[in-house]
Amino acid sequence: MLRTSTPSEEFTELPISIPPLPSFPVEATHWTYLRRNAPKVPTPDDSRSLFIANIPCDSTVEHFRALFASLVGPGKFETITFEHDKKPSWSTHEPAQATRLAAHGKRKREEEEIQHFEIKVRATLPPTWSRKVYPSGSSAVALFADEKSAGLVLKAAKKLKKPKHYPVWGKGVRDIDATPLGSQWLVEHNKLVFPSKDEVQASTDAYFTLFNKMEKEARQLAKRLRNEPDEDGFVTVTRGGRAAPARRDEAEEAKQKMMEREQKKKEEMTNFYRFQMREKRKAEQAEMLQRFEEDKRKVQAMKEKRGKFRPET
Amino acid sequence: MEPGTAKRRKLDHADGGPTFEAANATASTMGSSGASAFVLETEELLKEVKFDYGKASSDVEDVLRQLKDVIEATEPHDPFPISDVTVNFEKKNRITIPYPDPQPAKDAPYKLSFEGPAEVNVAGSWILKTNTKSQPDLAVDMIVVMPSSIFQEKDYLNMRYFYKRAYYLAYIAADLREQLGATMEFVFDHMHGNMLLPILVARLKINANRDDGSEKSNSRRKSIPAIRIIPCAPEDYFPAGKLTAVSNAIRQGKSEGGEDTKAPTPFYNATLKAEGLFPSYLRLLYRTVKSCSAFKDACVLGRIWLQQRGFNGNINHGGFGHFEWAVLMALLLQTGGRKGEAVLSPSLHSTQLFKATLQYIVSANLQKKALVIGKDSPDPESLRQSMPVLYDTARGINVLYKMTPWSIAMLTEQAKWSLSAINDSPHDQFDPLFIVKADQPLQTFDILLSVKLPTSKEGVQSVDRKGFVCDFSTKLYNTVKKALGERAQLIHINLPETGTWPVSANVPKTKNASLLVGIIIDPLKASQGRDYGPPYEQKKEAAKFREFWGDKADLWQFPDGNIVESLDWTEYSYLGSPGICEAIIRYILKLRLQVADGDLEFYGQDMPKVISFAPSEKVAFDAAREAFENLEGDIRNLGDLPLHVKQVAPISTALRRTSLCVPEFNFRKPLLQPMEVVVSFEVSGKWPENLAAIQRAKVAFLLKIASSLEEVKGNVRTHIGMENTTRDDENLAFLDIVYEDGASFRLRVYSDLEEALLDRRTKDQTIERHVRTEAAELLALYKRMYINLPLHNQTISTFCTRFPALSSSIRLTKYWFDSHKLSCHFNEEVIELFVLQAFLKPYPWQAPSSAITGFLRTLLMLSRWDWRDEPLVVDSAGSLSTSQRLEIGTRLKAWRKIDPNMNRTILFVATSHDVSGVAYTHDGPTKVVATRMTSLARSACKAVKEKGVDLGMRSLFQSPLRDYDVLLHLSSKALKSITRGDASRRSQYKNLAEETGLGALPLLEPPARSLLRQLKAMYASPLLFFHGGADDTVIGALWNPQLHARAFTAHMPCSLTPSGGSGSGSGSIRSDKEGEKGGMYEVNRNAILAEIARVGGDVIEKIEVVRE
Repeated sequence: MLRTSTPSEEFTELPISIPPLPSFPVEATHWTYLRRNAPKVPTPDDSRSLFIANIPCDSTVEHFRALFASLVGPGKFETITFEHDKKPSWSTHEPAQATRLAAHGKRKREEEEIQHFEIKVRATLPPTWSRKVYPSGSSAVALFADEKSAGLVLKAAKKLKKPKHYPVWGKGVRDIDATPLGSQWLVEHNKLVFPSKDEVQASTDAYFTLFNKMEKEARQLAKRLRNEPDEDGFVTVTRGGRAAPARRDEAEEAKQKMMEREQKKKEEMTNFYRFQMREKRKAEQAEMLQRFEEDKRKVQAMKEKRGKFRPET
Repeated sequence: MEPGTAKRRKLDHADGGPTFEAANATASTMGSSGASAFVLETEELLKEVKFDYGKASSDVEDVLRQLKDVIEATEPHDPFPISDVTVNFEKKNRITIPYPDPQPAKDAPYKLSFEGPAEVNVAGSWILKTNTKSQPDLAVDMIVVMPSSIFQEKDYLNMRYFYKRAYYLAYIAADLREQLGATMEFVFDHMHGNMLLPILVARLKINANRDDGSEKSNSRRKSIPAIRIIPCAPEDYFPAGKLTAVSNAIRQGKSEGGEDTKAPTPFYNATLKAEGLFPSYLRLLYRTVKSCSAFKDACVLGRIWLQQRGFNGNINHGGFGHFEWAVLMALLLQTGGRKGEAVLSPSLHSTQLFKATLQYIVSANLQKKALVIGKDSPDPESLRQSMPVLYDTARGINVLYKMTPWSIAMLTEQAKWSLSAINDSPHDQFDPLFIVKADQPLQTFDILLSVKLPTSKEGVQSVDRKGFVCDFSTKLYNTVKKALGERAQLIHINLPETGTWPVSANVPKTKNASLLVGIIIDPLKASQGRDYGPPYEQKKEAAKFREFWGDKADLWQFPDGNIVESLDWTEYSYLGSPGICEAIIRYILKLRLQVADGDLEFYGQDMPKVISFAPSEKVAFDAAREAFENLEGDIRNLGDLPLHVKQVAPISTALRRTSLCVPEFNFRKPLLQPMEVVVSFEVSGKWPENLAAIQRAKVAFLLKIASSLEEVKGNVRTHIGMENTTRDDENLAFLDIVYEDGASFRLRVYSDLEEALLDRRTKDQTIERHVRTEAAELLALYKRMYINLPLHNQTISTFCTRFPALSSSIRLTKYWFDSHKLSCHFNEEVIELFVLQAFLKPYPWQAPSSAITGFLRTLLMLSRWDWRDEPLVVDSAGSLSTSQRLEIGTRLKAWRKIDPNMNRTILFVATSHDVSGVAYTHDGPTKVVATRMTSLARSACKAVKEKGVDLGMRSLFQSPLRDYDVLLHLSSKALKSITRGDASRRSQYKNLAEETGLGALPLLEPPARSLLRQLKAMYASPLLFFHGGADDTVIGALWNPQLHARAFTAHMPCSLTPSGGSGSGSGSIRSDKEGEKGGMYEVNRNAILAEIARVGGDVIEKIEVVRE
């Protein structure tokens, strides 16, 4: 099979031959697409890394190490980062009060970063899968020893013409390095889902040490803001009495009460005046008419659907 | 406000206009607004079904005139002895005279003669113009009134009238055939299945005349209905006094005892009586049509209603047809009240007439008491008979003489069910009343059996000439009814059909026919193991009881010393209610009616084995419930929790009696899949005000509960488990609690602050849009888990106690979803709601009383549900108001407007607790799956309708695997070993194995589910997977047909391969396109399947490609 075309100017096709398995004895070819990495926000390693689109679902670092070793020889490949391993969004872990106060711009960005990092490192919960699988068609960024190695890989990929020269997926990966999939993987999953309690306890403790610290800081900050005029001489108004800021539920309770009072007042004054009665009756009639029209429309719609009015046989 | 006042005038003026008047008129007569929809719908229905007389009537009239001319011109002849006439006539004309059984004796002394008819007239619905298009037996009735000169007064005796009538008919037939035989064909039939009354059916021959046989005239011929020629007696000819219900008109021979000769022959008498009343009733109906404008429409509605329930005037179909309906209404329009006043008013609307008549049928209690309409009611004694009685005094006849005890019971029940439909909700009363076919045995009856008619008529035939089939079935009915007692709510017998026969043949005999008996059981009482009879001291009753039951009757002593007669069926208890009923029926029919076991056949025996009707499953569910109550007590008693426990709510199917697998556990074999439970605490301000932190706090709570529980109760093991999530502001963990006795639970903690925070986030306009949508998703998940599920659990468990058949129906329905590999797309709660809906809105039936009926009606509901623009409203609490319902409809419309292609939120299922309608279908089935569900349900209903009782139940649960593109065959061995967890020994992580080796871990979920979840996540766009229950070893998959070949993008929907890369010879096309935008890329199917094979490893035994 001769490959003459390229996906587009930038991408180089890298076919991988997939060996047949007893459960699916068909030889298949998986196509990945390579290009020099050029993210929107450049990083220092861009020059020596390659963007790989359409990685196989069961990719691991070891798989790619073996793959590139067979392509350009060992020692060129450093590591690979999978698109789906990056946690896209870490939700904020600050107490709500702190977030509100942060709106005043008094807190520093770096501080936040550090806290997040700490939460990430010290308080993460254990993973539940021994090996990750990636959605079909995901991408990854492979990091090579130097710019030259990356170029070599692209060149080698371009040179691949005959299927028998295609690198073979999983060849050269030692059994020890690859976490098995299949039934062992599922068994492992069931085990990992239930981590030891001590581990979870430790992580939770670590988390709340941090969280309580943040909460305390926020409280102090709030207190300070209440008493201190800012540079323009204004004092920030925060909730609560003299002693401490109000709690959220107190405020909500107060609001509830006020609404109830208003509601009661309103009810007392309905059906009081003659014109109210009259308008009410008018509204009722109008509503009845409207309902009649709606029914008519409904029946019309039913009629349009054929057979609605024909008794079943 | 009087209309005269100034204000009123002003108002009128302001609102005036014809629409308002019309609306007002309808609304004022119909009351609430829902009714107006019903009125409009029935009007449409009437328009649709009414027979178009304009087209056919002139043609029909031509034919009728021809017939009439011939009949009137028939040659008279003088009386000759019956035997001579018969032989001569039959020889000459080759027509067998349709004498009713028994044939007249050869030496009978009376003579037959023929004279021209006194009158020939068209009668029946044709003249009233109340026929419908959908009527299967559309025909014009033509009555031929025989002249009184050919009869003698004593002809009422010993069937003499009927012999003469048969001869008269045959004579006419001979003449008609001679003169019109070229264009018409003539056959005999029994009028209304009454063996005494043969009639002649004339039908135009299709393609009779080749010369003028153009297409058009043929099609016109087809539109001409059959014409039934009905000879009848002259009015008031026979003495009414001799033909009452208690008099005997058939004198048996001398050989019989004197007693027997006096046995009343009510059916014979009424038939004879009715022979002279055709014109009289015709006049009555005609008068009513004139006086009441809505009468005709109401008759048509009645006809449709009866027809959908399988009723018509034929004795085999209940003996209550359009004629009886019309007469009943006409009589009620005149009189019928307590003081003789009219029950119905002629100014009522047709729908009101219809409803009022139904109401009257229900309240009249015709099963038990004789109803007399009109003045001068006769002595009630003179009306006593085994048939239901509706006595029309003006004409002196029982209108219902053709009905049987079971058909009146059925009619009353049907009317009752329809009334409850009318009274229930104004919105969906129309379909069950007029559209749904309600006489499907499988959906109506819980137990169905066929009884072969015995060959010997010994001891069954009665003097009353109702026919052997009727006599036998009456006996059967009475026996079964008495034997089952309270176990049966309704027993119905379907009689075999009788058909027409050619004029030259003998009257067909019913041979090898069988009766179909349907029984609706009372699920509470039907499973009793022991019946109690009268006390031993009441000698007379006790003797009767013993006589009826034979050897089976024994004595039973209560602990308080009382001794009663009783019956012991406990040896069949393990079979549940159907088994017990079957045993009773088999026993009693053998004893009383000598029906051998081979002559009885019970249907529906091949039910899938998942639903054992055994009481043992009830015990298992009870045990699960008890274990839960234990857990609740233990948690509440934990002293050292920082907050008070407010509620421990079950959310597991096992705890609401609806799980497919019965939760069985014991000391040695703990429950593998823990039962899910939600714990909520008192409202507290101590929860941290941050979503992620709340989740951590929940984990802390779980840890605390775990340590306290283990401390307090020595026999409890706990495991903290991680939720399968990638976010950190979703629920992170759960706690599995395993008791020593094998019960295990999965605990999650509820925090009310979480909802408030999520709610605030969804409404916060200041944050980014995608964050808000995410928050909305989380909120939906949260509400489902902590609010809807506990309520749902409570609702379903309540209804499971209220409807004994609900639990097993739900489980059977789940099995159906499983066997069609649909269940991986449906939340179990949705399926439960489907079934619940079939129980809450069972119309046109009552709530199902067995698993099979419950299941089949759920399928019927699904097949009729157009989820494209109808929400399913399951009003379990009965609390939804009209406006709320409207609102639900509007919400669905809004969904459809936003997403007309229906990419998400396909099924819209609202309940009293959740009017949003998407709580259980948010992540539910896609359009493809929902369509598949509907089409499967439709084909199942079609099979049920077409095959009837011959349907093998198991065939409904067989799903062809050829429908899928790819099949993943899982290795059941590997799955089992994962479930048992014995693969852990092979694990390379020695340290992990030891750490958790303290005791077997609970199962997170069935391994096939875990795998499927991963596959779904990996191939969301190219493949759609289908998988049934946990032990289903085949995963079906379909390729997404919308993933066409496409140009290159870095963000791929799935693994792609360059088009033609596999050498399909499309190279030239490719090079064409290259010039502009590069090659095209298509789904790399083989690579994907190879990937699946690698990921599945030894779990996937084989990947089979069914279709390329």
